[in-house]
Amino acid sequence: MRQLYAVDAQARQAGLFAGQKATDAAALCPGLVTAEAEPEADAQALTELADWCVRFSPAVALSPPDGLFLDIAGVSHLWGGEDDLAQDFRARLAANGLPVRVAVADTPGAAWALAHQGKDALTIVPPGQQAAMMARLRPSALRLEPQAAAQIERLGLKTLAQLLALPRAPLARRFGAATLTRIDEALGRSKEALVFRRPPSPWFARLAFAEPISALEDLQRVSHDVAARLCARLEQEGRGARRFEIAFHRVDGKAHALTIGLALAARDPVRIARLFAPKLETVDPGFGIEVVTIAATGVEPMAGRQVRLDALLDGGLEDGLAPLIDRLSNRLGEARVWKTVPVESHLPEQSAAPARPLAPAPEAAGWDLEVPRPLRLFRKPERLEGVISLVPDDPPRQFEWRRRLHRVRHAEGPERIGAEWWRREIEDVRIDQVRDYYRVEDQSGARFWVYREGLYSSGEPSRWFLHGLFG
Amino acid sequence: MSGFRAQELETLKAKIAALETGGREDSESLPLGDPRLDGRFLGGGLPLGHWHEFSGEGMEIETAASAAAFAACLAAPLARRGEAVWVLRRDDLFAPGLAGLGFPAERLIQVCARDEAEALAVAEDALSTVGVSAVFAEVETVDLTAGRRLQLACERRGSTGFVIRRRPYGGTGRRETAGSAAATRWRIAPAPSEPAPGEFGLGPPRWEVRLDRCRGGRPGAWLMEAATAYTYEAHDGTHPLRLVAELGDRQLAPAQPLRLAG
Repeated sequence: MRQLYAVDAQARQAGLFAGQKATDAAALCPGLVTAEAEPEADAQALTELADWCVRFSPAVALSPPDGLFLDIAGVSHLWGGEDDLAQDFRARLAANGLPVRVAVADTPGAAWALAHQGKDALTIVPPGQQAAMMARLRPSALRLEPQAAAQIERLGLKTLAQLLALPRAPLARRFGAATLTRIDEALGRSKEALVFRRPPSPWFARLAFAEPISALEDLQRVSHDVAARLCARLEQEGRGARRFEIAFHRVDGKAHALTIGLALAARDPVRIARLFAPKLETVDPGFGIEVVTIAATGVEPMAGRQVRLDALLDGGLEDGLAPLIDRLSNRLGEARVWKTVPVESHLPEQSAAPARPLAPAPEAAGWDLEVPRPLRLFRKPERLEGVISLVPDDPPRQFEWRRRLHRVRHAEGPERIGAEWWRREIEDVRIDQVRDYYRVEDQSGARFWVYREGLYSSGEPSRWFLHGLFG
Repeated sequence: MSGFRAQELETLKAKIAALETGGREDSESLPLGDPRLDGRFLGGGLPLGHWHEFSGEGMEIETAASAAAFAACLAAPLARRGEAVWVLRRDDLFAPGLAGLGFPAERLIQVCARDEAEALAVAEDALSTVGVSAVFAEVETVDLTAGRRLQLACERRGSTGFVIRRRPYGGTGRRETAGSAAATRWRIAPAPSEPAPGEFGLGPPRWEVRLDRCRGGRPGAWLMEAATAYTYEAHDGTHPLRLVAELGDRQLAPAQPLRLAG
């Protein structure tokens, strides 16, 4: 059965409503124009809109399928009051062809109810007045379970005022505890937990422009200016951040975000802007950018550093190792810049693990220097062909690798390395996970690290692998 | 030669030297601990504030294990002074192996570049950074322009570059370039090790080292070994390389015979 998913204002005037059968609607309005509903695309558009709304408040929560919650506590004064903020919000969305209904209230529940069922498209509830304002709404405005809402209406409770007048205990017994929770949340007796699209970061700064900007030089300048704003606050509190996200909000309601990461917490706007600079070219300004926001995450305490006198000669900390690592890991990706730290493991490939370049040294003991390890270790050991050894337990006398024959002059070993059986189920442990490693040297002096897989069993040829090269 | 001409010549030499070192008084050098070796260089040791080139032959063109091991041994005292950066195209460098050779591998910063141009750009960036004393770069070839850029980056902070020439696996023949801005050019080949008498197994790693080109010095060829490799003495701060023997000049003949067209 085909149904109407949503209707516009004109269709509503003609008496159509969402959920109506498509054939009924076509009978009412012969010239009805319909389009297939695309819930996924709607959800995507809502997410994009939520990102754009960050220009009003850093805390935006989705309320699918068609709503958004903005936590405007503490930001409305930037627009000169809640009324001006709501007006501006509506005007901007209307300019983009999005008619919206806005309600401002103490609680998300009350705001939702008034936005969906209120008389006016813009409602502002004075503090503490939500119960009075919601009195005439239908009980379903509380986002109740459909069964509970239907039952309430069947019992003749047409308005919220009637519902709220009932004693609480029977209410909970009859309609479920969830109903009671919704009532409490709407009236502000208990807090509703909203899932904000990004955690509200107190480390946030924004910069709005009278005229939209689009030139690359302007973007560079404003990225420095907005970073300077945030960094001034970070400095006041003695903190630095390891990750910055800058977002350029376009006139047409789209936002383009860029992220940079730092090896050490920092709060130097010049450095931060310099890291953003190469990425600014990817920003498509469209018809212009009117607001830029920056948010810092990974904020940690950072002591003020005194600039050394000789720093002037050396070019200062700006040219030191930390900025180098920042430049490289932002240009190449964080996985491509690393430092190797020891890990306590017998398996050679697991005894060294990549770590953040400036991470403090781990607790694990260092590598055993007396045990020779190759300089180049292959990620996947390479199978050796034509291996000849005198007796099965001996190191090879000759082998073939990459179509070259190597005659072994000296050999050292075996060093038996078994799988770490204590790390998994005892049933999974097999005898062929044992490796006997030999260090061998061929006629020309090249040194190899080879191993035989498994233990010798008669009748089966041993499998030999090359795992690494010594210089 | 008259006194006047000798004086004139000295002034000219000093002028050229000043031009070559980019105006610095005189560049530092890293003594290798053996007069037979140090005497070959102008400053009595491996010149710092320049870049050096290491290459291998045969299997080593693709694996560059010996060249990397030798360069790491050569630069170990330098890497202990500051930070070291190793630029790779293929991340098969195994830090415990470097540590065994006496190189301070725990602090080494490794960077894996996506292509040749990026590897050189990263090396250049690292060389011109304060606090970085040694930069290793595994690249296929350094042409004249890239070499000059590396040299300028070296001169900015006096840091030293070690270019290890390595062809990517499956690549075609090595591209040779006409000139090079490298201060020294080394060819490294593995050499059979000599276990101590009465001992089994392998001796300390040895290399046949050929100094093919040395600006302001004399080339030579030696048999060298990392005497303290894989012992706890490797980290006691002395230079890990030991000169075993001087090789005859006959081995200095060009690897490929000169061929005439026709």
